Formats: sequence, structure tokens, C-alpha cells
Amino acid sequence: MPPQPAPINVPDPILVLDRVSRIYFTKGNIFGRGAQRVVALNQLSLSIGRGEVFGLVGESGSGKTTAGRLIVRLEEPDEGSILLEGGDITHLKGRQMQDYRRRVQMVFQDPYQSLNPQVSIADSVAEPLITNRIGDPRDHLRRVLEVLDTVGLSPAEDFVYRFPHQLSGGQRQRVAIARAIVVQPGLLVADEPTSMLDASYSAQIFDILLGVRGQMGATIIFITHSLAAARYLCDRIAVIYHGHLMEIGPAAQVIANPKHPYTQALIDATPKFGRCEAVPVYGTLLSAPREASGLAGCPFFPRCRRAERLLCSRSYPDWHPAGPEQAALCHFAQPDHGDGEPAPGEACRLGGG
Amino acid sequence: MSKLLKASPRLARRHPWQERLAEDWRVFRSSLLGKIGMALLLLFGLMAAGSYIPPLLDPMYHPMTGVDPLVLKSTPPSARHWLGTDFMGRDIFSQLLAGARVAFMVGVSAAFMAVVLGTAVGMTAGYMGRLTETILMRLADMIMVMPTLLIILLLAALFGKLNIWTIVLMIALFRWPGVSRVIRAQTLSLKQRPFIDAARVAGASHFRIIFRHIMPNVLPLAFLYMTFRVTAAIVIEAGLAFLGFGDPGTVSWGMMLQWVWKTGHMFTAPYWLLPPGICISLITLSFYMLGRAMDEVLDPRLREEGQRE
Repeated sequence: MPPQPAPINVPDPILVLDRVSRIYFTKGNIFGRGAQRVVALNQLSLSIGRGEVFGLVGESGSGKTTAGRLIVRLEEPDEGSILLEGGDITHLKGRQMQDYRRRVQMVFQDPYQSLNPQVSIADSVAEPLITNRIGDPRDHLRRVLEVLDTVGLSPAEDFVYRFPHQLSGGQRQRVAIARAIVVQPGLLVADEPTSMLDASYSAQIFDILLGVRGQMGATIIFITHSLAAARYLCDRIAVIYHGHLMEIGPAAQVIANPKHPYTQALIDATPKFGRCEAVPVYGTLLSAPREASGLAGCPFFPRCRRAERLLCSRSYPDWHPAGPEQAALCHFAQPDHGDGEPAPGEACRLGGG
Repeated sequence: MSKLLKASPRLARRHPWQERLAEDWRVFRSSLLGKIGMALLLLFGLMAAGSYIPPLLDPMYHPMTGVDPLVLKSTPPSARHWLGTDFMGRDIFSQLLAGARVAFMVGVSAAFMAVVLGTAVGMTAGYMGRLTETILMRLADMIMVMPTLLIILLLAALFGKLNIWTIVLMIALFRWPGVSRVIRAQTLSLKQRPFIDAARVAGASHFRIIFRHIMPNVLPLAFLYMTFRVTAAIVIEAGLAFLGFGDPGTVSWGMMLQWVWKTGHMFTAPYWLLPPGICISLITLSFYMLGRAMDEVLDPRLREEGQRE
């Protein structure tokens, strides 16, 4: 049975992913032998509400970045459709695509790579204005100075004529954000914007993103591997594993009370400090993954400690609602099911615990 | 420089390529090959620039038409003719100077055209990929394996004497594939860089991405290849001229060699034979050394230890 959309009702979605799949093929030999099929996203369905900060959480290779690239249309999905404000944008071309570019923008992961070293800050930030033919070219500089101020690069005059190599990582990421918001997009995809930065910069970047949401009313899709960052920034989060949506719900609620073993494993993996006995440990991750069944079972089956072979290796789980607006894709996620309670204590990773 | 930068010169700062140029120049100067090549080129540059002087002093020093009325045969060097005269009494030294001018003209313009064409094709192929890339690269392969000299010889035999600019054009048309291969490889790697994705999200067209984002990053490589193309162009032109298919209205070093050969002075007039031969060797060598030094600048792996802090 193919995955069903999560049973969460979003009243006024700005963006809807409807059973979106993205499949990559590795190149085989000259006859196509040995080519492998890699499913980056498997029928992912999401509805993102207007004005919310929505987190896509998952480990490396979970498909969260692919989802972001599909949303900004750097790639096209192989199946399914993407709707922005009700309009299908899955296979837009030409003029309409150009129009889409000013409504949806992206902040990339690595600020050292996402700015062309040969282009000045002024020209980088003004590029979306130029390509989208917004405003008079004479107004561009004024607009650039404005957004540089917005992202906290001030005095902006000192930065406009610098080049990327003259800025620190945090400053570059601010420039990248300025470039993304200069066209006042309705939707901003931020792909791990702080993973390449020092921790001290991260909070500043988060606050800039929250400020962008506050000032411009933009919806933000925040892609991260860090539950801590998601907890700080996001209204709702979706947890993705191997291209499958595993759990979805309000950020604080999912993190405080995760229902899916994979979410629980992610929380276990978060470094903890302080009074360790108070922090729950779920212990849902198998230390040595078992072999996948090859049947249409639960995608997390190979690594799930709680899985039961007969059930989980053979049948794809259903969505189980868990609390308000929260749902998990697990056979054992029924609210009345006794399993899944955290064991207290023993969570310390510091001090040889 | 962009429009934006011009709007407010007060704020203008050094462009990264300016800074990079300063740094590259430092590396370049520390290379012995580069220094020798540069010195030799300077010498040839002086020769080319000086080629305008002798005809002004006396019409008999005109490299093509100036005949010394007192000597109507080849004579060894003298105070009046520093390198002697050729079979009809023309001054070899002024011919040698004119040859330097022609060598630069042929070498640089053919190389420039080849590099422009090769860069355009390479960037297009690398960026577009798929069928476009296959077609362009197979075309490049086909042209690359053609023997340039032989084909130009055949064409010359077909159409009679070729104008020097026709020769330049043909050299360019046969010499771009090597450049386009290198530029394509560079473009392929640049295409994967996130700033290209960022430009696409910013709404940049393919045209804009190629010329605004990729080209500035492949130009240094293109310039490097230009120096190697210059060498090839000069050698091809000299070969053509020596074989008698050069532009009869131009005094090039290859032409001089042909005159030595055709009038039977090959083994009797070393003062006539050696200077153009040595000049051809040295100018190609100097461009080659220049290219090697630039290679060192562009590829940090080739730099010697301690050259870069």
C-alpha cells in the first residue's frame, strides 16, 4: 500500500506537496547494467500553512534537501505535484517559471559556496531584482541597502562593494538571506542555513529568519538535521526518513512527546547536558541494522528496535493520530499503545555516562 | 564593472580579479621560466615595434621592396647591412624585424580567435550537456584529429596563394577543439557549484548564468591556453610559408626561410638562414615558457614549496 497523506488538516495552505517522488538513477555501464535506483523521496505529501515556519527534519540522506530543491524547482519531481497557492507549479516553464522565481526563494546550506566569488555583494543581492525586472535599475542600490540593513549588515554601505572572500561565514549567510528576501518572496526555503557556521552565529541567523517572517509575512520552510534548531525556530515539523514522512506535528509537541521510533531515535542522538537522570532515553535504534525484508514494509524496519518482524517487515504502517495535529506513521503509534514510553535516566553522553 | 558599481565610485573597492592578479603576478615573478619567457617576449616585442624604423631611415631598408642599389646578390653582414642581404639585395635585419611583427600578429590573433571560439563552444557544451554536448564534442574530436598543416596546404593548393588573414582564420578554425575540451571540463565542475543553483533560484537565465557566473571563472584558464595556441599558430604559419604557401605579400620568418631555400643559399649563407630559424624557435619557446609559468599560477599544485604562505 502506498503511503497516504498524513491526516492533518491545514486550513489555508500556501504550499502543498501531493505524493511527490524523486528517484535518482546511478549510471550503470554502457548497456545500463548495474544502474541503481535511489529513491530520494517516496510519495511525500505535505501541506504548509501560510505564515508558519515549517521544519523538515531528518538525518543525512533522508531526502529533506531533495524536498527543498523540488520546492524551489531546481529539480522536477518524477511523480506527484506541487501546488503553490493552489496553482500547480510542478512543470512550469518560461514566463510562469520566471514569475514563480520571485515568489519562492532559497537560502543555501554553505555560504562559502553559494555566492559567486567574482560577484560583489551589491550585484549578488541585486541579481533577483535584475533577473525579475523589478523596479528601476536606479532603485536597485537603495533596495539592496535596505535588505542588507534588514539582515543586520550595517552600515550597509560598508558591505555593498565587498566581495564574498572579504566576509565571514556568518556575514555571507546574511548576504545570502538578503539576496533571497530582496524580491519579497511569499515562501522562503532555508536549507540548513547554519550547519556550516559557528554555533554563536546560528542563533543570530535564526532570529533574522524569524524577523523576516515577522516583517514580510513570509512562510519559511526550514530544513535541518538538528531537532534543537527546529524546536527553537519552527511552528510545526515533519520528520523524514529515507524519503518517507514518518511523523508530523507541532514542533514543541513532537519533540516533547515523539510517537515515532525514528523521531525518538533522533532525540536520543541529540547531545545532552546537565542533569542527565531527568532526560528520557527511548533507545529505539538498533545498534546493528538488520536486513531489509525487501517487502513493502515499514521503511524504518531495518533499524527499529521495537519492530515486530511479522508485522513491520510486511505491511506499510498507517497514520496514527497522536495528540492535536500530530500523527505518526508507525504500527505502534496508537495513543492507547503502551510501548514508546521513555526509560528515565542514563542519558548522559558527557563524563563517560 | 557593473552598473551598480559605477553608480557610486566612492564605495568602489578592488575587484577580486584585481587582487588575484596582484597575487598571481607575485607567483609568476618567482618562476624562472616565466621570467625568461617574459624577457624573450619583451625582446621580440621591441623587434616588432622597431620594425617600423628601418624603412623610415632609407627606402632600401624596406623589408619587401627595398633593394640596395649597390648589392644585387646575397652578401654577408656589414656595417651597412647588419645581418647581410638576401639574393636581391634586401636587408635581412629589417626583414627579421618585420618577421617579428608578423609572428605576433599571426600568433596572437589566431590564438585569440581559437580561444574565443573554443571557450564559447566549451562553455555551451559543458553547460547544456546532453545532445548539444555530444554533438559539439564529437565535432571537436573530429577537428582535433585533422592534420592542420596538411589541410591548409590542400586548401592553399586548391585556391592559390592565401592571404595572411585567411591563414590566421584557418589556424583558428582548426585549433579551437583543445581549448573547448579544457573549458568544458572546467564548466562541468563549475556547474555543480552551489552558486549556480543560487543564480537559478534568483531567476537567472541560461545566458546570464553562462556569461555572468561561469565565464569569469573560466577566463583565466582560457588565457593560459591562449599562450599555447600562439606557439602553435606561429609554427603552422612558418611551416606554410616555408613550403611556399604563405602570403607572398608578407615578410614572415617562414617566408625568409623559403627564400633561402629556393634561391639555393641554404648551405652557403648561414647569416641568412640562422636568424629566422633561431627567432622561430625562441618565440615559440618564450610563449611556451610563459604558458608554463601561468600554469603554475593557476594550478597551486604545481607551485614549489614556500611560494605561497
